[in-house]
Amino acid sequence: MANNKRKDALEGIKDGFPIFLGYFTTALAFGLLTRTSGLRFVEGILISLTNYSGSGQFLMMNLFNAGSFLLEIVISVFFLNTRYIFMASSLYTHLENPKSIAGRLMCGFGTTDEIFAVAALKGKKLTYSYMAGIVFTSYAGWTSGTAMGYIAGTFLPDVIQKAAVITVYAMFASLLGSESRKNAKALLVLLVSAGLNSMLILLFGVGTGVSFLISMLAATIFGCFIYTDEEAGV
Amino acid sequence: MINVFVMIGLCSVATMLPRMAPYFMPFLAKLPKNIRKSMVLLPVAALGALIFPLALTDFGVEWYAGLVGVVSAFFVSYFKGSMILSILVSLASTAIMLVI
Repeated sequence: MANNKRKDALEGIKDGFPIFLGYFTTALAFGLLTRTSGLRFVEGILISLTNYSGSGQFLMMNLFNAGSFLLEIVISVFFLNTRYIFMASSLYTHLENPKSIAGRLMCGFGTTDEIFAVAALKGKKLTYSYMAGIVFTSYAGWTSGTAMGYIAGTFLPDVIQKAAVITVYAMFASLLGSESRKNAKALLVLLVSAGLNSMLILLFGVGTGVSFLISMLAATIFGCFIYTDEEAGV
Repeated sequence: MINVFVMIGLCSVATMLPRMAPYFMPFLAKLPKNIRKSMVLLPVAALGALIFPLALTDFGVEWYAGLVGVVSAFFVSYFKGSMILSILVSLASTAIMLVI
């Protein structure tokens, strides 16, 4: 029994290693962003420790830098994260022993897009030892990357620091690139979302937080019409 | 001025609630199809508004530097480059635009 646990944990660590690398490098950019946004080291690290989400954290910093209100930031982050309800519900059905409360909390904490993708495709029942292995390996990459990125920021020349504002948008543009490769309809959704947001902010002077929420929801509804159920994977 | 610690705490709740709840409330898996479809498409729909217009306005009169950065990140990833490569190329091209 103890041997099995060990074996499962090791397998989780092994599956988590590619995620570790991806998270570490992305978190470098996030760490640098928290620095250029004027946050302290502790604050930057605390975000990654307690939120443990890529796009959610970048969104938070984006709206924070744009001077949005607290409630606008929190509501936007929540909406962006509703997709986890879908992923967590699916992972829950794969658990070998769904009773342990601590185990379920750990799995919930670690239900990120990448861990979901790897674990859900595992094709067998998931033990808590396996999940702990993959969740904490990936978590180590995310948090240590944030710290390293913040520290590395102190050594970068001024022009790079000034250009570093782009990292947050580069991260989103990169997600958009891979979404568009999978389905060109993503570009139509982009047009609605980007066009509406630019219009509301630049022409009508709407606050960035409210404008973001309106644009995101409008583009989602538009997306539901143009994507078939199969394309959306539901 | 926002209290950063309050923001971090509330955002953590906004992240962990949708992740943890389904492990305790399995009925969430049975939400209507249209709701589930929206949840899947929402992150894609968020991207456009996350990038524009702020990626340009953040750079003020040098807005073209932001545009070059966004477009280069998009293409690197479109042609299967990794996320970090696309961020690095974007950072470099934006810095070059700011210098020239």
